[in-house]
Amino acid sequence: MKMIKIVIILIFFIIIFVLLNMLLKPKYADSLVEGSMIAQYYDEEKDHEVIFIGDCEVYANFSPMVMYEEEGIKAYVRGSSQQMIWQSYILLKETLKYEKPKVVVFNVNSVRYDKESEEVSEAYNRLTIDQMKWSKEKLEMIKESMTEEENFLSYIFPILRYHSRYDELTNEDIKYLFKRKNNTYNGFLVNKTIKGVTILPTEKDLPNYNFSDESIHYLELILKLCEENNIELVLIKAPSLYPHWYKQYDEQIKEFAIKHNIDYYNLKEYADVIGLDYSLDTYDGGLHLNLTGATKLSKYFASLLSFRYDLTNYKGDALYDKKLKIYKEETE
Amino acid sequence: MLMNIILLILSLVIYASFGITNLIFILFSTITSYIAARCFKNKYKKTILISTILVNAIILLFVKFILFEEGIFNQFINLNIIIPLGISYYTLQVISYLVDVYKGKYEAEKNIFKYMLFITYIPHLFIGPISKYDDMKETLFSKRRITLNNLYLGTSRIIWGLLKIFIIANRIAIITNTIASDTKIYTGWYVLLAVFMYSIQLYSDFSGGIDIVMGISKILGIDLRENFDSPFNSESIKEFWRKWHISLGIWLKEYIYIPLGGNRLGALRKNINLLITFIVSGIWHGINYIVWGIMHGIFVMFGNNLKTPHKWLNRLGTFIIVSLLWVFFIWSDTFTALKMFTTIFINFNITDVMQNILNLGLSLSDWIILFIFTMILFVYDKNKIKIKSIVKNISPELKITILCTTILLILVFGIYGIGFDVNEFIYSNF
Repeated sequence: MKMIKIVIILIFFIIIFVLLNMLLKPKYADSLVEGSMIAQYYDEEKDHEVIFIGDCEVYANFSPMVMYEEEGIKAYVRGSSQQMIWQSYILLKETLKYEKPKVVVFNVNSVRYDKESEEVSEAYNRLTIDQMKWSKEKLEMIKESMTEEENFLSYIFPILRYHSRYDELTNEDIKYLFKRKNNTYNGFLVNKTIKGVTILPTEKDLPNYNFSDESIHYLELILKLCEENNIELVLIKAPSLYPHWYKQYDEQIKEFAIKHNIDYYNLKEYADVIGLDYSLDTYDGGLHLNLTGATKLSKYFASLLSFRYDLTNYKGDALYDKKLKIYKEETE
Repeated sequence: MLMNIILLILSLVIYASFGITNLIFILFSTITSYIAARCFKNKYKKTILISTILVNAIILLFVKFILFEEGIFNQFINLNIIIPLGISYYTLQVISYLVDVYKGKYEAEKNIFKYMLFITYIPHLFIGPISKYDDMKETLFSKRRITLNNLYLGTSRIIWGLLKIFIIANRIAIITNTIASDTKIYTGWYVLLAVFMYSIQLYSDFSGGIDIVMGISKILGIDLRENFDSPFNSESIKEFWRKWHISLGIWLKEYIYIPLGGNRLGALRKNINLLITFIVSGIWHGINYIVWGIMHGIFVMFGNNLKTPHKWLNRLGTFIIVSLLWVFFIWSDTFTALKMFTTIFINFNITDVMQNILNLGLSLSDWIILFIFTMILFVYDKNKIKIKSIVKNISPELKITILCTTILLILVFGIYGIGFDVNEFIYSNF
């Protein structure tokens, strides 16, 4: 009897411990929404023909709903803030467990960074990893992404990382304790703010423009994964004006694309054709496009995708029509 | 027997993992003292004793003050060597063993592995306590096994220690580090705040660390001598030193104060002996703590004259004096410490301190948590025996509930993880 009582007490504390972990972990619902899109994918119907992977330059710039409206494309953006190339590779691996798209679009901005780069940070790692479902890929993601200051246990038990949030808990933490808020439209994060380009930071000379072997290795792994799954890999550079995409970077990617016979589009070069007006179409002075900019870009890119690749026109799909209706209502 | 073999191997492996140099230093001390003690039947035993003590003491002084971070040479050449882990603690153990065997208090240990385990026993190498061989051998080499009761007692002690470190000491460290980091902005009553807070921080950190050592030892069935006995309930500095870092106090008394003549040679010699003892204590802490040692010595000598008929007033006075003297620990450079100490009496910026109390790194809720847990600590300290006997008689279910609740409290309210880099015990630096 005594033993049973002790077991019950222990179970009770385990439940409290689990609840505390859930409570203290950021919910990425009303605040810090950039951490929410990774998890939203799991609630989706997994029948996309186009998957975008990459950093904020994909989730802010490409609207799958516009692509559906234009060309009937079913697309999803698996982007996250400062998503590093090894993270894109692992996220793609995870995505391919759920579905086999026809086209994978990878934004090459992150090829410039490797694991030693100062841009690699715990805060960004959290935005990508925290909301991933537990799987072999999540373990690999943690292992590959962790900075020196982090420890593996804090990913398993978020309380070890977020315990000091007891001081910052809000209604959001209670409201979304057991549920998620859908902040994006197939991974596209809407921003209607207009903050045009005024001055861009000067393009400083770098001591070295060569991509690291590590980054190229991951780019090759992404390519290999696509080839093994009979998927077309399309490399793009989103038309963001900053951080500068040096011509030396561009040349290396072009070379890679030619060598491996894949497509590469530096969409900044198409800005005029797309009709981008950088005084109106960005929300932060040129780093990311706003809703109007993203709509223009998505229309253009949808027509390019449907012209160049063998994609199905799903126009009339009940679910997507419903999604489009909601998207229109909430963005207009 | 098997447990001790495992314990010895584990201790050596863990110790070596901090750097092979560590292992060389500790093995040198162990082997030289073992051989020396075995040779005390020799007619040159006095020479052997003195030379072995000198060699070990010189190594300690050399590595602490010449080679390493505070060292003179370090200003000119970067030797890139870290101070051997626990050298301040095990050197004192080696000396006490040699003196005791020399005086015939007990026989020299024949089994080198037993002696090696006494010196290298890993839990107490980081922050003590400084154990004596005759105390340790009773518990270390007796028949023992891991029991459910010891497991519970040891775990409770470890958790209590973790609470003190993570909730109290690490929280205060934020304030003291902030104040210590800027000697231009934080002067006057900021210094006063820092020294009082540091008193609680150091006690929580040091005694918390000792609780962990005691807890681990208890689980293994090893009972070590207590190192603290509610020191802030002391009514004088003399009493404080009987209750604070007890193992060091006993060592200094038995191996410095008494051999110097203790109180047997008249009042003047007694006071000189006391002063020398406290200077040694200061030197043991580091070259910059000599003034701190002298000040404590003076208060021990003349402290009785400051006593009042009121117990609470004596306790408060002792706490204030002890706290003020921690100024030498917060600013380890003696001149800076003295300069900061002086500002307390020049700059009465109490309003400024009160207005900025929430800008020192702790939020209001942090202060509330700190206050609550510090109160718990002091209430427990004052009523330790009573509380222990109550806890002894409560049901296992309630015991488990208290333990689990405490673990959750530490996990939530503890200060640890990213953005907080105080990862070692303050006293492991001495």
